Amino acid sequence: MHISEGVLSGPVLVTGAALTAAGCGIGLRKLDYDKVPQVAILTSAFFVASLIHIPLGPSSAHLVLNGLMGLLLGWPVFPAILVALFLQALLFQFGGITSLGVNTFNMAFPAIICFYLFSYVVKGENNLISMAAAFACGFSGILLGSLMVAISLAFTGDPFLGVAKVVVAAHLPVMIIEGLVTLFAAGFLKKLKPELLEVVHAKR
Amino acid sequence: MPKGSPTGKDRLSTRTWPCLIFLILVIVVPTSYALAHRVVLFAYTEGNVVFTESYFSDGKRCRDSRIEVFDRFGNKLLEGKTDNKGQFSFKPPKRTDLKIILTASMGHKDEYIIPAGELRGKAEAKSPASESPKAAKKVFQAEKGSPARQLTSREVEQIRMVVEEALDEKLKPVMRLLSKPQTEGISFVQVMGGIGFIFGIMGIILYFRSRRGR
Repeated sequence: MHISEGVLSGPVLVTGAALTAAGCGIGLRKLDYDKVPQVAILTSAFFVASLIHIPLGPSSAHLVLNGLMGLLLGWPVFPAILVALFLQALLFQFGGITSLGVNTFNMAFPAIICFYLFSYVVKGENNLISMAAAFACGFSGILLGSLMVAISLAFTGDPFLGVAKVVVAAHLPVMIIEGLVTLFAAGFLKKLKPELLEVVHAKR
Repeated sequence: MPKGSPTGKDRLSTRTWPCLIFLILVIVVPTSYALAHRVVLFAYTEGNVVFTESYFSDGKRCRDSRIEVFDRFGNKLLEGKTDNKGQFSFKPPKRTDLKIILTASMGHKDEYIIPAGELRGKAEAKSPASESPKAAKKVFQAEKGSPARQLTSREVEQIRMVVEEALDEKLKPVMRLLSKPQTEGISFVQVMGGIGFIFGIMGIILYFRSRRGR
């Protein structure tokens, strides 16, 4: 999921950085400051999740947890992922500093989409539907993220369909596992701390 | 509700504990595979052939990935694909600094630079016969006092080749070892450090927040 330094062309990098900056702006405006510790915990989870490799499938893929983060954070997912990716680039040499913008957007934007698509349903009364939505949330977080990676690479010249197939195939096991992780996490929180599922965007 | 208490909160916890345990298992068990997510390219020379090995740094080999070789000025010399073991070897067409670039799937990329000095063999054999063999010849003469015969520069060159071949052979295991995936790339300290940074940032935000609220 992390695109390395020097792979993407300049315009793609700049566009990604601009979109991430915009996302972070919205995220920080909408951040409810009482939720800062929760954001920090999920940022740490994201930071560590990339170290957990799924030894299945044709390539090397790891957990991302962007679906879960979107579900629990809403818009502040942008600054959260930016910080985590920055530290990963710094400490682990994942991705790169110049591709930070693109990588952040590739993972945070699907998280926002997941938030708007599934947050309401996950909070719903019907347990079965709610759990199915949680699974779909984790699953599509990775699916959309893979497609975002394919799109970024396509703008740099690789054929979209070819790359998309490779990336999606590589992340198929991750999608399923993240679906399960999100399902269990959401189920767990719904029973014990349902208020965590209530994303309150600060009005400012 | 005193009567319903076993079915109330207790039942909740009996249902949530398995979930929690599962979550912990999911997160903890695969950490034995917890390794860097990037590609690494390693290259070394043996004789006049350059060998490259590429792998994701969890140890998985990069199969069928593109390798491009450039000279010092950025001109592409050749390109090829890695085999099933992530290996690719080539004979450099000319003696120059080689910049080898690996492009694996999904935007992973790494490069390795081999300075011209590491290359030798045929490409080199013509040019440098001027300096070092002469010096070597003098040493031979000095040691033998009055030599029965002098080593020709050709012979010295041959000895040098033989020695280098033998050295290559001896150094092979070392090279292999070096080219093995560096699985200790990420340490526990780095992970904890990163988490520390995140909570530090949280602390800073909350600190300024609390001061503003006062």
